[in-house]
Amino acid sequence: MGSRGANLVLSRANRMRAKLQSALEATALEIDDVSYQHAGHAAVRGTADSETHFNVKIVSPKFDGQSLVKRHRLVYDALADELQSGLHAVSIVAKTPQEAAAAK
Amino acid sequence: MARSLSSMVLKGIAVSRSSRTVCGSFYHNGMRYSTTVPSDSDTHEDFRPTNKLESSPLSLKDVVEQDVKENPVMIYMKGVPEFPQCGFSSLAVRVLKQYNVPLSARNILENPELKGAVKSFSNWPTFPQIFIKGEFIGGSDIILNMHQTGELKEKVKDIAANQEKSE
Repeated sequence: MGSRGANLVLSRANRMRAKLQSALEATALEIDDVSYQHAGHAAVRGTADSETHFNVKIVSPKFDGQSLVKRHRLVYDALADELQSGLHAVSIVAKTPQEAAAAK
Repeated sequence: MARSLSSMVLKGIAVSRSSRTVCGSFYHNGMRYSTTVPSDSDTHEDFRPTNKLESSPLSLKDVVEQDVKENPVMIYMKGVPEFPQCGFSSLAVRVLKQYNVPLSARNILENPELKGAVKSFSNWPTFPQIFIKGEFIGGSDIILNMHQTGELKEKVKDIAANQEKSE
């Protein structure tokens, strides 16, 4: 986890990045915090959690030969701790390196 | 609490009268569940799961098992199909409505115990959750993807055909 300069408390996005990177050996990984789109929803309002909704785009060789459900399960498994600590929703795009290359 | 659970679940299909937009995995106000049983007079019968379980005492896991076995397209969602309370649930319903299939739904916001039961049944952490012909399909990302690739059309082909026959 390359921390530059001041050591801040890691954001959820950074923790997610580290977990997905190590569990799934991602070759490409984009994580967007879209919690602001859901701010004010009853379930989120008034809690300490502000990092609740994320978009994840991940490319991993581990998705090879796996159905979408299995790919999503791999992502959810890697993020299990986060899901138990206030992460509400992850929108997932999961591709193999071959699929990602073909899409370009 | 446990005693009234299965009857609460069975009534949980009803339209929520709350107009709040909710998109999260829990409510803070637990009282809602123990005091109100919404009227289901507004629920269109197409979206009502079969109710033959009503008199038998069933665990929530049994309820879920029965739901997915008896309803060719079953969605556990936030809100109801006519009035989803989460963008992801709304998206999933919009996709499924493209097909001529009966859609059965339960509102997991009405019942946190049911929500827990569905999560452990499917071992999937988020909602909506969609089951087709008893098979766990996934959430809104997956159903949208299957819609786009044509896989969903293939999967519900026989359900849609049966539907036409009975119309």
